[in-house]
Amino acid sequence: MQLINKALFKQSAKANWMRWTVVTVATCVMLAIVIIVLGNLGINDIRDSLKNVFTEANQDSQLKEESIDAYDSYFTIMENYDGLYGMLGIDFNGTVGSKIENTCTQFDAYYQDFVTQNGREPNETERQTLIDNAVQSFIDSFGVSEDLIEAFLPGMANGMTLDELKTILAGIIDYYDTEYVEPDEEEQTEYPIIDNYFAKQIYNEAYAQEIAEEGATEEYALSRAESAQIMAIDIVKQYQGDVANAGSTYDYEANNYLTIATTYVNNTMYQNVYDIFIEEGQTENDARISAVAVKVISNSAITTYQMLLTDEDFALTVDTTVTTIPEAARAEACESITDQIPEQVAAALTELGDMDIYGLIIGSIFYRIAGLLLPMVFVIMTANSLLAGQVDSGSMAYVLSTPTKRRTVSVTQMTYLLFSLFVMYAILTVVSLLSVWVVGGNAFAINYGEIALFNLGAFLTMFAFAGFCFMCSAIFNRSKHSLSIGGGLTIFMLVCTILGLFGSNVVPSAMRIDAMNFFNYLSIITFFDTVSILDGGLSFLWKFGVLLAIGIVCIIIGIFRFDKKDLPL
Amino acid sequence: MEVIKAESLTKDYKNGRGIFDLNFVIEKGETLGLVGTNGSGKTTTIRHIMGFLKQDKGQVSVMGMDAWKKASEIKKYVEYVPGEIAFPDLRTGTEFLKNQAEILGLKDMTYADYIVEKLQLDPSANLKRMSKGMKQKTAIVAGLMADKDILILDEPTTGLDPLMRLSFLELIEEERKKGKTILMSSQMFDELEQTCDKVALIFEGHIVDIADVNKLKNLPYKMYKVEFLDRAEYEKFKKLNFEIVRDQEKYSQVTVKVGNGEMHKLLQTLKNYHLKFIAEVNYNLEKYFMEVLKKHKEEVKNATN
Repeated sequence: MQLINKALFKQSAKANWMRWTVVTVATCVMLAIVIIVLGNLGINDIRDSLKNVFTEANQDSQLKEESIDAYDSYFTIMENYDGLYGMLGIDFNGTVGSKIENTCTQFDAYYQDFVTQNGREPNETERQTLIDNAVQSFIDSFGVSEDLIEAFLPGMANGMTLDELKTILAGIIDYYDTEYVEPDEEEQTEYPIIDNYFAKQIYNEAYAQEIAEEGATEEYALSRAESAQIMAIDIVKQYQGDVANAGSTYDYEANNYLTIATTYVNNTMYQNVYDIFIEEGQTENDARISAVAVKVISNSAITTYQMLLTDEDFALTVDTTVTTIPEAARAEACESITDQIPEQVAAALTELGDMDIYGLIIGSIFYRIAGLLLPMVFVIMTANSLLAGQVDSGSMAYVLSTPTKRRTVSVTQMTYLLFSLFVMYAILTVVSLLSVWVVGGNAFAINYGEIALFNLGAFLTMFAFAGFCFMCSAIFNRSKHSLSIGGGLTIFMLVCTILGLFGSNVVPSAMRIDAMNFFNYLSIITFFDTVSILDGGLSFLWKFGVLLAIGIVCIIIGIFRFDKKDLPL
Repeated sequence: MEVIKAESLTKDYKNGRGIFDLNFVIEKGETLGLVGTNGSGKTTTIRHIMGFLKQDKGQVSVMGMDAWKKASEIKKYVEYVPGEIAFPDLRTGTEFLKNQAEILGLKDMTYADYIVEKLQLDPSANLKRMSKGMKQKTAIVAGLMADKDILILDEPTTGLDPLMRLSFLELIEEERKKGKTILMSSQMFDELEQTCDKVALIFEGHIVDIADVNKLKNLPYKMYKVEFLDRAEYEKFKKLNFEIVRDQEKYSQVTVKVGNGEMHKLLQTLKNYHLKFIAEVNYNLEKYFMEVLKKHKEEVKNATN
């Protein structure tokens, strides 16, 4: 059976080519303008600058956190340093430090003597005796009785017993004997043995602390401990350098741990940033400006942190069952801009920053609304004129008074409708791809693949509408009925999609009215999911299938109905 | 051979509209006229024959094939001039005729050209701007150009001027002579009387009567109207043995029915009377159907009473 009548197809093409041409050209021009204009306007500039604000705010807060972290470490180290050196009674202009160092040399001498006398290395007990002898030689070096030693060792005034002092000294000598390595020239500090012993203590402490933390690996704990050790040496060296530079004018009172730690952290931050920028090839001046900015941020964070730590009112507001005061103070000091504005406003702003304006305008507005309108008008009018219009006027009589079957007529007309729609969207696809090429190809916010899928989706949407309008045209004998049901419902769905847009997720929440989303359930255009296409998801595929199915079912119903009905010709 | 046959064909549109229990047969080479007022069911009958409408009851067959089921098959033999004049959305008449020929699979346009000439049609005119008559001519050309055996025309002369109507009727006469079977509806009795062998009268969806036009033309009697100058002679004539079908006392007039062979009797009688005039009363299809209709209406009236 011949299903398509060429002459009838030609007749339909002749009758509708004008409308087809106008709609195709107009839609192509609209599409090209939208893509090219958007491609050149840089409408994402605002979005990007907004996004920068948030990124910077986050970086800022991160920087503050790092500063406070460093400050905490420095502070702890300084405290420990003070504890050890204070106990030992070391001051920088005095002799205690050198005496302790000398004690280690003394131990070496005892050790050598032992080897010479006995012809072998000492065992552990014998080694301990040698250490004890060395400690005793340190006490003896003051040339006073053990009862008076306090006066010579200021640290003893802090309540330390002589035994405790001996234990520390024994620890230092033991360290010297077993682990101490003469530091490089660069790492040289004033009392290399004591300083490195101190650093080793810090290492042990940090390691123990890290291991105690849940989930920390051995490797991680070791690396953290090592960096703490390096930092400790660094701090000691800097501190001693400061004191040495200042000489007798050094003000121990003014330079307490707080100021020392702050200064060290600020300087370290400055130095790090400066080094990075220089390494990246920036000019010295630029590097300095950036480093100063970082130093300012770091300084303000630490100051806020210190203030909060000592602020009684703040301490009272902190729920200590949840966090400790230092943690709360740190969190407060590190707050970014986004943390400070109300939650909903922050969410709206973040969303606005994340919004894809190209996707909204090209996908949700052009392909799903504006670009559908003219093809819809074409489909509504053409579908009606292909069957119902000709039955209504009576001109269908001429075709049907030839041996042409009704089935052939309906299939031919349906083929013309779909063919014209297909060619229209083929042209639109070419135009849209060319437009994207003009504005930069895949560098454009919407790439070739996405644009092609948009066109496919719009075609399938129009296929469903074409099927529906064709069915109405095949069922009704009067144009007015075919147009009001087929066209009316089609336009109704477009309007629903326009209204539904204000309730859909593509519109920023500041402008969204969630209840309006209801309209999306009234329109089959909802099955054309541009958001899913842009997300790279696959849910748009089954929705395409639904559109295809709607079109096919409608067409089949239309063709069968047209075979069976009465024609007033 | 029965070319078109309707058996108790019924299509009920409710409210008394539609066609009811139609029975008629058109033999090969015969021309049947369908006459009736607007809305009487002429077009509905034709649409059934064309297979456009599905009957509620009964059957129509063309060349022995069911008109509804074999609609496209019977179109190999049937050509049609629709009553409603509307053309496909094409620019000119020529374009339309060419397209129609293409759909028909018609290569030879000589017969189409012949009709165009006969009807003096200029088909190159814009379809939308054609006058009603031109459109009707175009429709006739499109309908007749395939030169098929069965011709169905739905009020084909509407819009034609009297001269064109004559040309058209000549055309139909030619078709008849070719031996085509023709069904033609009209509201004009005289044109059906001229062209048809039989004429069916449809009234309110029923075929009231099918008249044989040749019989009507060759009645075995004639009627004469006579008016007497003298009242006494008028009274005297009435007493004679003539069949008086109408008596108008006021004017001293009588209408006398006389057998075809008995004219001389009337003339011999009347030569002794003083007459104002004597005239033959024409009897035609219209008069015949008026009588039939009058009788039919009375029957219906009596039936309902």
